[in-house]
Amino acid sequence: MSDTHTASRREDLRLITGRGRYASDWNLPGQLHAAFLRSDRAHAEIVSVNAAPALERPGVVAVFTGADAIAAGYTRFPLMANFTNRKGASLLKPERPVLAHGKVRFVGEAVALVVAESALAAHDALDAIEIEYRELSASVHVDDALASSASQLHVDVPGNLSLEWEAGDDAAVAKAFEQAAHVTRIKIGTTRVVASPMEPRSYVVSYDAAAASYDVYTSAQGISLLREQIATLTGVPAEKLRLHLRDVGGSFGQRSGVYPEHAALMIATKKLGRPVKWVSTRSEGFLSDAHGRAIQMSGELALDHDGRFLAARYEFTCDMGAYLTPGGPSGHLRNVAKCMTGVYRTPALYGAWKVVFTNAAPISAYRGAGRPDIAYVVERLVDKAASELKIDRAELRRRNFIPLDAFPYKSPTGGVYELSDFAGCLDKALPAADWAGFERRREAARKAGKLRGIGLAVVIEGTGAGQYPQDQVALEFDAQGKLSIYTTTLSGGQGHETTFAAVVAQTLGVAPEAVTLRESVLGKEIIGNNTGGSRALVATGSVCKLAAQKLIERARPLAAEALELEPSQLEYGEGAFRSRDCEKVIGLLDLAQKHISKNPHPLNLIAEGAFGSTFPNGCHIAEVEIDPDTGVTEIVSYVAVDDCGNVINHSIVEGQVHGGVTQGAGQVFGEHAVYDRDSGQLLTGSFSDYYMPRAGLIREIHLSEHPVPSKLNVLGAKGVGESGCTASLPTLANATMDALRPLGIQDLDMPFTPSKVWHAIQAAKVK
Amino acid sequence: MTKIELTVNSAKHTREVEDRTLLVDLLRDHLGLTGTHIGCDTSQCGCCTVHVNGRAIKSCTMLAVQARGAQIVTIEGMAKDGRLHPVQQAFTDCHGLQCGFCTPGMIMAVAALLNDNPHPSDAEIYHGLEGNLCRCTGYINIIKAVKQSAGVLRNG
Ligand code: FES
Ligand code: FES
Repeated sequence: MSDTHTASRREDLRLITGRGRYASDWNLPGQLHAAFLRSDRAHAEIVSVNAAPALERPGVVAVFTGADAIAAGYTRFPLMANFTNRKGASLLKPERPVLAHGKVRFVGEAVALVVAESALAAHDALDAIEIEYRELSASVHVDDALASSASQLHVDVPGNLSLEWEAGDDAAVAKAFEQAAHVTRIKIGTTRVVASPMEPRSYVVSYDAAAASYDVYTSAQGISLLREQIATLTGVPAEKLRLHLRDVGGSFGQRSGVYPEHAALMIATKKLGRPVKWVSTRSEGFLSDAHGRAIQMSGELALDHDGRFLAARYEFTCDMGAYLTPGGPSGHLRNVAKCMTGVYRTPALYGAWKVVFTNAAPISAYRGAGRPDIAYVVERLVDKAASELKIDRAELRRRNFIPLDAFPYKSPTGGVYELSDFAGCLDKALPAADWAGFERRREAARKAGKLRGIGLAVVIEGTGAGQYPQDQVALEFDAQGKLSIYTTTLSGGQGHETTFAAVVAQTLGVAPEAVTLRESVLGKEIIGNNTGGSRALVATGSVCKLAAQKLIERARPLAAEALELEPSQLEYGEGAFRSRDCEKVIGLLDLAQKHISKNPHPLNLIAEGAFGSTFPNGCHIAEVEIDPDTGVTEIVSYVAVDDCGNVINHSIVEGQVHGGVTQGAGQVFGEHAVYDRDSGQLLTGSFSDYYMPRAGLIREIHLSEHPVPSKLNVLGAKGVGESGCTASLPTLANATMDALRPLGIQDLDMPFTPSKVWHAIQAAKVK
Repeated sequence: MTKIELTVNSAKHTREVEDRTLLVDLLRDHLGLTGTHIGCDTSQCGCCTVHVNGRAIKSCTMLAVQARGAQIVTIEGMAKDGRLHPVQQAFTDCHGLQCGFCTPGMIMAVAALLNDNPHPSDAEIYHGLEGNLCRCTGYINIIKAVKQSAGVLRNG
């Protein structure tokens, strides 16, 4: 098939022919099947568990409960980054038995694990387990959890408050506010959402008693971090954990950490001596996958007479759910603080955070992890200030942009921004969206009985610095002389096989097909970061380039020997070494071929590099039309001008922006994990209740690139995985608010569902 | 247990299944055709879409025994004689897939949609894909792929 196939991506052929291998496609001989009994209470003491009746059910082999988790000692989850406040207090991180013990703290928490001969038999037996609960009052909202009357989730976390944290200069901000000519205030929040990659979580785990090692077949965002996290949680040495990772059906941050189910299955397979497979249903995914965002925010912006920003102050109340995931609140704290000034020169800045436990599913990173949240509040605040001061929204931004000559710009709360051209992005976006002609379109819509709005946002975000200080990449020739790249990243749709191979092939001057990427392969002793935080190309991609350069230098003496010249007499280009006069030539791949009998191949190498955070940025403009009779908002046009630095593959970048913008649109217009405030039940636990973006939500995105190459890595890349989401949240919300503001509506918040918008319009009419 | 016979991708199969076995589980677990995916348990995502007697069906909504005697085509049967089906070709040409998990179901749904309606309008395409969720692409390139393959199929 390959000869007629003109794939735009290297990975496509297997995926469009049904030959991808996702986690649930793994099956091991003799495997058993698992199903989890999950708590149907939001907060309760477990009085007793009687698993015996389940053991009577046909096909059931064993049942495991919290007692087994305690016996194994699987209660301490890793925390990727701790935070300490100015008083010296750190995050309070309660224990979390991988099967609930003593108490359940959210609906969907795993309480027992049934293992049976078939998946159906395991599921059938769940209702035979008898659990007696003593119910406690539940707080699914941060305000309820922080109330003095709230019942405490964890004995060691008073007031359900894991940490109070701050950044910036409170006193300087207070002083600036005293001098302000105008102060704009806003209270909004990002909704709790469920990443919902289309592939549900799935694990097959087996135990090799002789080697005391575990094989884990799953999907993830990379091999190193997951292995280390499972090791930390279970105490099993990392080298005894053999991870098998292949195709991944989307991640979005949700697959970045270890889950209780990983460890619970390890208990089962060790005890039973047979492989155990678990495939999550979507319903239990809604309950037990890590959720994202969920920050309540209030912001205040102080301006002078000319509309120049003097200071800004924010409060963030972060809903962590019932436990800290390995990612914990790092996105909510670090990523928010880093870009708290947005794209503006704001001399004084202060933020105060509360990290709160609630009786809801634990929160982790979700595409952007704090970056869309801070962009949302900053850009909505700026829009509101412009409306209050009657200054054009683009003009107010322009007045306050960090100017080109101020870079590298050190933000008052941490981030050191690399060179960015915000005005340049804005200047490209405004005509592309026909900003100037908008009032005519608004008028035309008004005549047709519609409310039309236009909104813009100019945003910046800091990409992930990574958990490991550096990234390693191995280049190896196999027995056929084929060149493979090995990395610790793992694509969940980002097309690394195409992009990373292109980086190496271009550097070497060989055809891309001559190079194959193999990500997160078991047994490759390289260390490096996950895919995540928009960093894979920036960092690992850069090391791919270094590795290719290293390969050329490693090959030079061998080429010299083959051509009977001195290494210094050789030039390299277009995949070959040449003598200066071009009389003698040897191709790099031919040279490699000459040495394939040697083991290890003399050209095999490991390269490494440390590339930190970069700053993708851009300007997005959206136009929407609301039908006041139904409250339905239609996205009429969308313009995106992005600076993601140098681009390797334009269509992949475009795809990332499409996907990111659409996920943002999903959150703005409907996605919301809603828990009933009294019962703590999840009300949006399936695709029938949880809004998902569908075909036609955004029909077109006019995309232009405005690259200012990064100087922080050898590719000049800035990253693109999250920028669509970061920009679209404020852009679409601002457009919707612009449509509603003429009615006197100032502070509506996401999700802008038809019913919420309709009610707001009705209420405004009454006024 | 019931014994059923059916044809999948032109090959005849006979299997013993439980009455409650879903068609998707028969395909994946009994026949090893793991290209058909399961993305939900409420018949909403379309990852499991296959063709049963020429019509697009969510194979998670059909019992295996209901497919007795049926002609079934899965994603594995779409390419013929080493040539991709035009819809497959269009998905890769248009970058209509990222993670690829929704893609087999999308391709099967689109092929059936174009079979029924070779000239779909934009609105008809959105409507036709309402039952297929994709979390990665934002659908924009999927729509492009539908239009490209519609053109190829009409002219082919
Ligand atoms: S698995 Fe069949 S519709 Fe989702
Ligand atoms: S490509 Fe990932 S879900 Fe569609």
